[in-house]
Amino acid sequence: MAAIELLDIVKRFKNETVLDEVTLKVDEGETLVLFGPSGAGKTVLLRVIAGVIEPDGGDVRLNGEDMSDVPPELRNIGMAFQNFALFPHMDAFDNIASPLAARRNTAERVREGVERVARLLKIDHVLGHRPRALSNGQKQRTALARALAAAPSLLLLDDPLRNVDAKLRFEMRLELPRLLAAERASTLYVTQDYKEAMALGDRIAVMFGGRIAQVGSPEEIYLSPASLEIARLFGDPTVNVLDVVPEEDAQGPFVRLSKLRAPIDPGLGHAVGRPCSLGLRPEAIRFVESGAHGAIPVTIEAETPLNEKAVTLVTTARGREILVSRPSGEPGPTEGTAHIAVDSAHALLFDRDTGLRIAPYRSDTDVRGAAA
Amino acid sequence: MSGAALALEGIDKVYNPGSARPVQAVRGLNMRVDQGEIVALLGSSGCGKTSTLRMIAGFEEVTAGTIRLQGTEVQSLPPARRNVAMAFEGYSLYPPLTVRENIAFALKSAKLSRDDTQRRVDEIAHLLEIEDILDRYPSSISGGQQQRASLGRALVRDAALHLLDEPMGQLEPQLRALLRGRIKHHIKERGMTAILVTHDQAEANALADRIAVMEDGELQQFASPAALKDRPANLFTGTFIGEPPMNVFTAEVRSAEGRLNLRLGGDVELDYAATAFDETVYLNLLERGRVSIGVRPHAVQLVPEGLPASVTVNQWLGDQSHIAADFAGGSLVAVEHRRAAVHPGERIAIAFAPEDLHFFDVESGVAVSHGGRSA
Repeated sequence: MAAIELLDIVKRFKNETVLDEVTLKVDEGETLVLFGPSGAGKTVLLRVIAGVIEPDGGDVRLNGEDMSDVPPELRNIGMAFQNFALFPHMDAFDNIASPLAARRNTAERVREGVERVARLLKIDHVLGHRPRALSNGQKQRTALARALAAAPSLLLLDDPLRNVDAKLRFEMRLELPRLLAAERASTLYVTQDYKEAMALGDRIAVMFGGRIAQVGSPEEIYLSPASLEIARLFGDPTVNVLDVVPEEDAQGPFVRLSKLRAPIDPGLGHAVGRPCSLGLRPEAIRFVESGAHGAIPVTIEAETPLNEKAVTLVTTARGREILVSRPSGEPGPTEGTAHIAVDSAHALLFDRDTGLRIAPYRSDTDVRGAAA
Repeated sequence: MSGAALALEGIDKVYNPGSARPVQAVRGLNMRVDQGEIVALLGSSGCGKTSTLRMIAGFEEVTAGTIRLQGTEVQSLPPARRNVAMAFEGYSLYPPLTVRENIAFALKSAKLSRDDTQRRVDEIAHLLEIEDILDRYPSSISGGQQQRASLGRALVRDAALHLLDEPMGQLEPQLRALLRGRIKHHIKERGMTAILVTHDQAEANALADRIAVMEDGELQQFASPAALKDRPANLFTGTFIGEPPMNVFTAEVRSAEGRLNLRLGGDVELDYAATAFDETVYLNLLERGRVSIGVRPHAVQLVPEGLPASVTVNQWLGDQSHIAADFAGGSLVAVEHRRAAVHPGERIAIAFAPEDLHFFDVESGVAVSHGGRSA
């Protein structure tokens, strides 16, 4: 039984369709990340699940039960938002206790519940403080603690790390999986940060313009994105995109990069002759000696280090810009001219008109093995 | 002209002096920026970086100290007479002018021909990917586009100094790496001198030749990105610079038969040949007895045999794996530039090479040594 089951959810505001037949399942105990740019409809979808926005069409089922006649307070959902939304006149303890107290628990049980999650989130020492005396990180943990306090079977977390600094965001990213596992909650987690999505999601649902564009594990989304648009949202630096038209000879399909024959996946014969975009991850390109097989001459434009990676902007003879990334410990050129080689056999190929990925044809069913 | 493009000497900035609550935003700041150099002022909000930039620009008076631009004292000159090009938040585009006119206006004092002006505007617009909005008015473009237009207006000029305030904060992530590369190339190719203010260390690392790390109005360290990473002056810069942040442990130092023994929490012991350290460092550590040890996540080695750790989480981000583990009575973060095949609950063995250890004074946080050499 799925923890959350959404069937053809439609929501319109005036003439605008903000949720367009959204169908999505969150399995029991799973963390599903809802990822997409702002305006994609993520928050509206969360509110529909919570019951604070009524959909114009479709069904919401929680733990197998149809929710159409169930008010928000009876849905047993814990929620936390990016703006914390704490009660300013209550201290952290009372904020965390509020959902427990609302359910008429005994004072003893409320205290136990609050202290348990406060310890888990390392805010047990600030329970007596009001929100304005808390740091952003503590506020964010207090909001999370409130969501967890009633031990809900479902958690809806709307970009809860958005307003905290980079260091704390990183720390929480590492802590959250353990926390969620301890709570055994099924979680729908909204974010615009692809790293958070990959780090936290058992699966990721990518959303654009009110529609779900792809659902898959982090490796499926990163290695086999359904479209160029999705490929461009995952990865830093962003995937390089080159216009190509695949050709074929006796050795199989290939593309031309700076006049050189670069073989592509043998299963891509059906893309021959079609205008395509070739997606090359910066980490799939490397600097090589001038004589190396498939070496493409380039000019170094600039080196811009990024988190223990050396990111180099190079241009080809025809002025194409390409970003190359390597671990910063590995040697590489920093100025002048150099040569690069691309792992074209594992490159992503997209139809230039539709932007959709052209998957290699396989006689067997395993299409993931080649890319991994 | 060689030498310093900009020199700050003994700069103090106090807001509300003489009031009940004076605020010292900048304290005793000394800094030299060389001709053709890109320098980043980096720190969290309230560290004094923006006050410093505003004093250099002339929007803010210095409370004490001297600002020299190419040898000339400028701290008493109005902004317009400092020959400084700026892209500031709140230093907005002229609303009645199109983006093209805004950028061209910045070239007015250069007295270029109409064709040359046109060419320079087109070049910078191409570089910043704003060609399609050149004929729009500022009110009709997005915040990110306004930021790029404002950046274009500054970068198009030949000024003694370019001041850029959080220049890419609102940029779409998909454009960031490409534009960083192009902007750096543009600045370097023209030999421009630039100072950028940012709270984002990724931006500072990507663009700057040297980074001035500020905290509480004081300069903590002024060094190249590589030196900040390899030789942090203190625990503050050590843990501030680097994503994910440096792991820090406290250790008891002991010696035995030509070895250096570092006892961490949870009965975990690091053991090295004394020869891995300079003699002065070795003796210094022994004398201290207790010391803080910093190890960068990228330097944590997963090895077949080593110190025991227990994996709590392994997060693959496409080109890196971030691994957290229970270790030495606390926790530890390791980063691998590949997809690491370890799972939560798994026991792993780790090691630190002596050249990857940073030692700091337990009390003051001042660096003692890096990689076995004195700090």
